[in-house]
Amino acid sequence: MRRILANRAVRRVASTIGTLFGVAVFVFVMLRAIPGDQITAGLGTEAAALTPAQRVALEQYYGLDQSPVTQFFSWLGNMLTGNFGYSARSQQGVLEMTLHSLPVTFELAVFSIVLALLLGVPLGMLSASRTNSPRDAFGQVVSLAGLSVPAFLLATTLLSIFAASFGFNPNGQGFATLAEDPLLNLQQMFLPALVLGFGIAAPILRTTRTAVLEVRSEDFVRTARAKGVPPRRLQVRHVLGNALVPIVTMTGLQFGYLLGGAVVVEQIFSVPGVGRQVLLGIQQKEYAVVQSTVLVIALAFVLVNLLTDMLYRIIDPRVRAS
Amino acid sequence: MTALRRSPAMLAGTIVLLVLAVVAALSFAGLLPYDPIAQNPPDRFLAPSGAHLFGTDQFGRDVFSRVASGVGNSALIAVVAVAFATVVGTLGGLVSGFYRGFADGAIGGVTNVLFAFPPLLLALSLASVLDRNWFTVAVAIAIVYVPIFIRVTRGPVLSLREIEYVKAAVSTGQSRWQIMLRHVLPNITSIIVIQVALSLSWAVLTEASLSFLGLGTPPPAPSLGSMIFEARSLVFIAPWTLIAPGAVVVLLVVGLNLLGDGLRDTLDPRTRGKR
Amino acid sequence: MPRGALSAIGAAAVLSIALTSCSSSSGPVTSTGATGKSGGALVVGVTSDPDTLFPWKATQFTAVNVLQNIYGTLTEFDKDLNVVPGLAESWQTSEDGKKLTLTLRKGVTFGDGSAFDSKDVKASLEKIMDEKTAAVARASLASVKSVEAPDESTVVLELTGPDAALPANLATVNMAMLSSDDTEEKLNATPNGTGPFTLGKRVPSQSLTLARNDKYWGAEKPKVGSVEFRVIPDESSIVSAMQSGNVQLAVFNDPLVAQTAQGGGTITVTKTPQLSYHALQLNAQHGDLKDVNVRLAIQCAIDRKQVLDTAALGEGEVTGPITAPAFKSDPAQRPCPSRDLAKAAEYLGKAGKSGGVTVKAIVSQGEYATSVNEAQNLKAQLAEAKITLDLEVLESGAFVDRWVAADFDAAVALNGGRPDPDGSYARYFTSKGNLNKVAGYSSPELDKLFAEGKATTDPAARKAIYEKVSAELEANAPWIWLFTSYTYTGTTSNVSGFVPMVSGSLQYLRTTSVA
Repeated sequence: MRRILANRAVRRVASTIGTLFGVAVFVFVMLRAIPGDQITAGLGTEAAALTPAQRVALEQYYGLDQSPVTQFFSWLGNMLTGNFGYSARSQQGVLEMTLHSLPVTFELAVFSIVLALLLGVPLGMLSASRTNSPRDAFGQVVSLAGLSVPAFLLATTLLSIFAASFGFNPNGQGFATLAEDPLLNLQQMFLPALVLGFGIAAPILRTTRTAVLEVRSEDFVRTARAKGVPPRRLQVRHVLGNALVPIVTMTGLQFGYLLGGAVVVEQIFSVPGVGRQVLLGIQQKEYAVVQSTVLVIALAFVLVNLLTDMLYRIIDPRVRAS
Repeated sequence: MTALRRSPAMLAGTIVLLVLAVVAALSFAGLLPYDPIAQNPPDRFLAPSGAHLFGTDQFGRDVFSRVASGVGNSALIAVVAVAFATVVGTLGGLVSGFYRGFADGAIGGVTNVLFAFPPLLLALSLASVLDRNWFTVAVAIAIVYVPIFIRVTRGPVLSLREIEYVKAAVSTGQSRWQIMLRHVLPNITSIIVIQVALSLSWAVLTEASLSFLGLGTPPPAPSLGSMIFEARSLVFIAPWTLIAPGAVVVLLVVGLNLLGDGLRDTLDPRTRGKR
Repeated sequence: MPRGALSAIGAAAVLSIALTSCSSSSGPVTSTGATGKSGGALVVGVTSDPDTLFPWKATQFTAVNVLQNIYGTLTEFDKDLNVVPGLAESWQTSEDGKKLTLTLRKGVTFGDGSAFDSKDVKASLEKIMDEKTAAVARASLASVKSVEAPDESTVVLELTGPDAALPANLATVNMAMLSSDDTEEKLNATPNGTGPFTLGKRVPSQSLTLARNDKYWGAEKPKVGSVEFRVIPDESSIVSAMQSGNVQLAVFNDPLVAQTAQGGGTITVTKTPQLSYHALQLNAQHGDLKDVNVRLAIQCAIDRKQVLDTAALGEGEVTGPITAPAFKSDPAQRPCPSRDLAKAAEYLGKAGKSGGVTVKAIVSQGEYATSVNEAQNLKAQLAEAKITLDLEVLESGAFVDRWVAADFDAAVALNGGRPDPDGSYARYFTSKGNLNKVAGYSSPELDKLFAEGKATTDPAARKAIYEKVSAELEANAPWIWLFTSYTYTGTTSNVSGFVPMVSGSLQYLRTTSVA
């Protein structure tokens, strides 16, 4: 038994390393496939005016004169020793940048997921409790709205309504981390988390509804109901308990996405998260910034996956039984 | 037909989509009141009227004709993208969840690589590398969606694998593919169908977001996404240029979702007849 | 031959939009800041933070404007773009025009307290001229043979020939005077200039604060104690931040955003015409475009006003090649002053292309607000003259790549103009210009005119020469000049004293005060 567990752990670690290596190769190749380099990104069309000698000087400056293979392995080797590269633009190490931006994105993701779960799960259960009833219709309308309203539109609208009508715009002030100024930070997180949470609530609501409906039709629930288990207990213990697998899958999925995918919302609300760090890195063609940050996001993502899988084992009686 | 009668949601969704399909068909058949691309500057920013049902935009183009042709383009992109993602993703999820072992590891690895990649970077790279047209946009969207289908199907397949009748089937010596197609696939249909419906609407919205980043369908061919983005800043001057494509996107998305729900209720053996 | 060189001016306006996006991480870094000075704090909303703090390589809008307030230049522009004394109190050109003698201001110190003198000027100019430095303004000093510093406050530039544009070329922040002890590495972390402000606190990608330099040499010291450039990636979000009073000043490029800002009533928006111009660049080295008649047919088939009206809602002015106020071209001075399809057909006929031509145009998406709209309208207009414009819409990085490599038939572009026409166009349209490959056109006539313009110091005579340049350009239609647009300066009601410039420069932050 212990050996099996050890094996499993080793396999997991090996697959994680494999994934990260895949991401490293992929991001490295992709970045270089995008036209332009740090020189043209910095100088724009003025790069055309550079003399060949100037261009050579700049290539040396940015380390672009080395072969791609050398660049790849020296970057990867440096990563392993904790040197994530340096952003000339920010005058800061990428590790340091990421240590500031990742917690911000993480916090935003947690708040968004919490809001989404608070909205999605109860409404999903409500919907499923009586299909084709007004309450089901209500749930459907909410989820349709969540699915149909693009985040950028909701974000821009909310921001302008709050700022223009109530003068409420905590995001217009300099960003404060949770440690620096908790109250301001929570205010600044509120609208972006609301926008993201509303969008995520929809798939969670639908997944909950479907899962609950499916579980309810299964034999053990029917048996429990026949045995006279009280409806409330039946609902929470038997139905929700067993419907958790898809809900957890969906939540893990969405959480992973939020780590790298909240860019537009981060933009509109000036939240200094990893999404912006990557996007800016792409625009500036600061390869080290993009590569290292994406790799960190990938690592976070793998960890979330691991957590989701572990949760399966805890929640799902079928997987647990095996 | 009986299914339609039984499910009002599906009926509503079908009607909405049929109306939009007719409108889109008009555009493909060249039966629109105006050329969606031809400009007529003297008629800029005309409010909706009998001549121009949804008004005109800043180039004096008829918004109705553009919306109609945009529905066609957007739907085409969404359908192609999701079809690709569904086939590849479901297959991957089935194999991954059922075979476990090496296949699971390999597919899981690729999935994780794709997932861990910020979709924006993926889309940006693809759009910059490839020669951009509606098909490459569809492929870019599809690649973002493949891992979702893998993940969403793999979990339930994992669970199903442990269920008695699947185990029983394994013990009777049926081939793995037979079991997968006969016993596992039907049981995850509802999940796939839901995912398809969700994905179709997401794909429409993703195309819109790509257009926002300048990576969507290249102009002047109208797509609903690019129309919304062109009109976003015109909202104070000519609100109809935003409202028309916006409302149609919402209709399209709502229609797709209603149809998806209806389909699920009809297809899923366990929820059927239980309402 | 001073051409080239990225001036702060103009190019900044273009780049600002190219970089309208986001920024990266958070976290405090340099913090040497003097805060809590008298005079209040001004917050300027910007869409991105500086991509470099080294003035000789700065081309991006925020970088140029931040650095312009930290560093000093030998000459400066006033609000009407006249060249006025800066660190050089006066300058004199020798009889033969081959020697420029600058007398430096005395008692000027750098932010770190060290004195500024001719040694620093000599070191700065020589480093800018050195190719290894990769300074963007290098080509502006092409006519400089050597730099001598006979005494502490005199600098003599030996020139290969007369160069009337040199004083103006010295006014950009890319020609900033650095202390001879400083290195690029050091300045990237801690800027050290002679300007009205010094760097205070910087939080990369979030904000950068300037503190008033109490030792600034100018007669008038800055009114505000500090200026914070706060990064808010989305222009509409800047509007919201101004409405809620968090930001007091911002420059917008999108007329629609400006309109939204004005709509609320709390923000005053000032329109300023810009030196930068929108143009359809034709590559006269490519295919059918080699024939001047085809290019003229394109010129005749385009109604510039229609492009302006449809793509930019009429927010701008139809323009000829030269946009600098003192040398402005008359937009009607060209073979086809207004759209003339008959004439377009005639030109096509002369070229033997009555059946029509096809031109592939690159268009950047996302670099500036109106690009794709302009392209769509141009396509529609040209179609009526049997000219097919195939649009290739590119992400801005890809666009820049193709543009830099001159890999296009035609390009829909927004180019930065400069206060001096020599600076604007000699680099494009003389046979030895460093952007001539991109422009794809030069002629002996133009070479001669530009050389004359450079050798002439009398303003009226120069103006006459550049009128000829302008006419020559329009008659050969290497590019189709379309229109210039505005920038919009938004200020809240408690801000006064800011003067927007046609160059887009924020140099008048030093006269701005906050109530």
